[in-house]
Amino acid sequence: MSHSKLASIFNKDEKRVDWHDKALWFVRHKRDKSVHNVKGWEELRNLGHGIKAHMLSNLDNYLIQFEENAKKNGVEVHWAANDEEHNKLIVDILKENNAKKIVKSKSMLTEECHLNPFLEANDIEVIDTDLGERIVQLAKERPSHIVLPAIHKNRHEVDELFQEHLGTKPCDGDPQYLTGEARKHLREKFISADAAITGVNFAIAETGGFVVCTNEGNADMGAHLAPVHIACMGVEKIIPKQEHLGVFLRLLARSATGQPITTYSSHFKKPRKGTKMHIIIVDNGRSEQLSRPDFRASLHCIRCGACMNTCPIYRRSGGHSYDATIPGPIGSILSPGKDLKKYSTLPFASTLCGSCSDVCPVKIDIHSQLYKWRQIITKETPQPFIKKQSMKAMGKIFANPSQFEIVGKIARWSLRNLPKAVINSKPNAWGKARDLPLGPKQSFDEWFKERENEKKS
Amino acid sequence: MKVGLFIPCYINQLYPQVGIATIELLEKLNVDVGYPSGQTCCGQPMANSGFEYESNGACSNFVENFKDFDYIVTPSGSCAYHVKKHYDIIPQTEEVIKVRNNVYELCDFILNILKIKDLGASFPYKIGVHKSCHGLRGLRLGSCSEVVGKQYSYIEELLQEVKGVELMPLSRTDECCGFGGTFAVTEEAISVKMGKDKIQDHLDSGVEVITATDTSCLMHLEGLINRNKQPLKVLHIAEILNSNL
Amino acid sequence: MGSRNQILEKIKSNKPELLDLPNIDISLFEENLDLIKEFTKKVEVVGGNIVTANSNEDIIHQIEKIFPDSKVKFSNLENTQSFNTINLATLHKPHDLENLDLLVLESKLAVAENGSIWVSDNEIPVRVLPFIVQHLVLVLSAKDIVPYMHQAYDKLSNLDSDFGVFIAGPSKTADIEQSLVIGAHGALSLTIFLKE
Repeated sequence: MSHSKLASIFNKDEKRVDWHDKALWFVRHKRDKSVHNVKGWEELRNLGHGIKAHMLSNLDNYLIQFEENAKKNGVEVHWAANDEEHNKLIVDILKENNAKKIVKSKSMLTEECHLNPFLEANDIEVIDTDLGERIVQLAKERPSHIVLPAIHKNRHEVDELFQEHLGTKPCDGDPQYLTGEARKHLREKFISADAAITGVNFAIAETGGFVVCTNEGNADMGAHLAPVHIACMGVEKIIPKQEHLGVFLRLLARSATGQPITTYSSHFKKPRKGTKMHIIIVDNGRSEQLSRPDFRASLHCIRCGACMNTCPIYRRSGGHSYDATIPGPIGSILSPGKDLKKYSTLPFASTLCGSCSDVCPVKIDIHSQLYKWRQIITKETPQPFIKKQSMKAMGKIFANPSQFEIVGKIARWSLRNLPKAVINSKPNAWGKARDLPLGPKQSFDEWFKERENEKKS
Repeated sequence: MKVGLFIPCYINQLYPQVGIATIELLEKLNVDVGYPSGQTCCGQPMANSGFEYESNGACSNFVENFKDFDYIVTPSGSCAYHVKKHYDIIPQTEEVIKVRNNVYELCDFILNILKIKDLGASFPYKIGVHKSCHGLRGLRLGSCSEVVGKQYSYIEELLQEVKGVELMPLSRTDECCGFGGTFAVTEEAISVKMGKDKIQDHLDSGVEVITATDTSCLMHLEGLINRNKQPLKVLHIAEILNSNL
Repeated sequence: MGSRNQILEKIKSNKPELLDLPNIDISLFEENLDLIKEFTKKVEVVGGNIVTANSNEDIIHQIEKIFPDSKVKFSNLENTQSFNTINLATLHKPHDLENLDLLVLESKLAVAENGSIWVSDNEIPVRVLPFIVQHLVLVLSAKDIVPYMHQAYDKLSNLDSDFGVFIAGPSKTADIEQSLVIGAHGALSLTIFLKE
């Protein structure tokens, strides 16, 4: 289904839309309060952009350097060209270690690769340990936001879900109680896990180490207890040097939630004694995106979610309306690179207001890329006949002043003289909730000519 | 200084009063204004819909009409932005480059080229400013709430000099109204919801008149206001700056 | 090996021409922070408590007042062995730390701009300690506070560790309707003793 269809379904419950909009606007507001107090914020964004752009221009060498250093640190490094290979690698590692119970912290990459269903099909229990992700996992849904996975659910829905799955008492949606119960439930899972899977926020070529950021501490609880730690990263997570973390850790949490830094910024380098650490480096379409000059900057993304929180369309359509692993503005420029036809409506789910580009901590020109994807989509995917023909006709009219004059006259006459019921009838989506302007008798053109004539006489 | 006036297609046809206010205002300020009669549209409706290639004729026609002027002024931030940002689809001749460099939104032109602030206007109403996105984040006609730096707003600077104007604060200073060209019909539900929320923000602040640098946003808001019979008026900034009430 | 070479080849042929790596000019960010004041403010922002102290004895004394009910305790401060109720040397697996009530660690680095404190394998005998414990106490000298993350990484370039973490406040979540709840999976509280 198209974004607009899914969004209009979401909009049937206006109260929920209002709530969703306000909850996310509040996060955007916290981001503003936080970043407006950082001296040199815009320069910091420039640095974030510059470091990422440089990284992409030398990515193969940095990956080789990272691999070499990670191996020296005693970490096993694996490479996956696509989701299938990624999933298979993980299952192989798990089977080798006889691991049956897995705890996983947030990783949009494993979401992208649909790892969970694959593990389950292989009789491996996988528990998402980020509270929001656990909520959507129990609800058999997918995250609707990359930082706030369960933002589409209200507290009463979580209450019911926990009663059903965790056997909690009814609590009128008390977040304190529900979080406490989740803590108990997940502690058991951490203690008994055979392996932990985490994502990677930043991988440092210079040291072979990687950084994982969480507020809940779930990545650490998993990785430091289980005998096997598997960290999954997209190729673009590389940064050249450790000192660059100084830039990105300043940008990330402030952009995401307005916090000055996440509670835990964990720097992994070597496995702890007697345990194993694996890193899986995944391409899955990223090298393809790298080949597109207009769109490669989308690979700068550090997954802060700020573009979602600021996007007036995202806030009012909900993440699931995008029907993609990564929703919102950044998802709408990443997804068409994977499947142009499937995601062809996403670049149109925007007014091109530009707010996403201005909040982006690594200065991805998101709204310009949306515009550019539109140009490609209309050429390379089937377009409705009427849309195509009307655009062609408009192009002709606007190229020809005398035609423009005639068409304008007819349009104004129709607006003045046709009954409202006709003007606002079904094919006119404008008129469903909005009036059209009254057609004036005289266009500006005609007024101007008349004035010129009067001047002459 | 020869100034060419560009009146966007929908203003020409549907809101001629905005064009009239613009030309009267410029003439009041002793600007030598020319209005080339062969002008049509900047090409944006096709381009934003993904049919940039169908807009070549419109772009060329625009350049043909305005190539001989020192400045091109238009009561639309969105059209000015489109010419500046997206006229890279036609060959970059000297004329095209000149036109792209010299196209200005009206407030920007008055404040930064003519360097006039007080236009002698008076308009005793409570005004809510809608900061149209392409003018704001495209042309930077004001500071954007996302960006850290000096606070400014061309439209508000001019309004502050208008006698009787009371500028009303909004809770979301520069959120999009939801017009977005064909977005308004292809994403009808979201577009309408955004417009309704925008209007509510103005109503909550006690605004009597919403103004903007772009009539397209105002047309969308006015459509909702009229349908829902809300106690608000919309006027383009040129109409306010040209008033003497 | 998997698809290693194939991926690297593809990246090599698809990447743009080499772009310069920008230098980080720290002077762009400097604003002469009062380090203790800023650090204290940010610790509060991230949900931690901050207490001043003179000596390790003083710290232990104050801790016993703040956490009178804690039973299972461990400290790595000098001369505080009598405080400890567990012996890490006899620990079989980290999972046995599940009932740890209180952990006291010394840190050598903190960051004013975000209230975070660095602890690493050099200070943590068992990695999971600061996460699995119920109440975490970190001890810090005022002289070890740096203004920004940039200076923190400057210092870290000389402090090699196999694992390290910046901790800012107690663990928290806002995943249920955006309401902040302190105490997700990690420590329920963070208390910082600042030695002037």
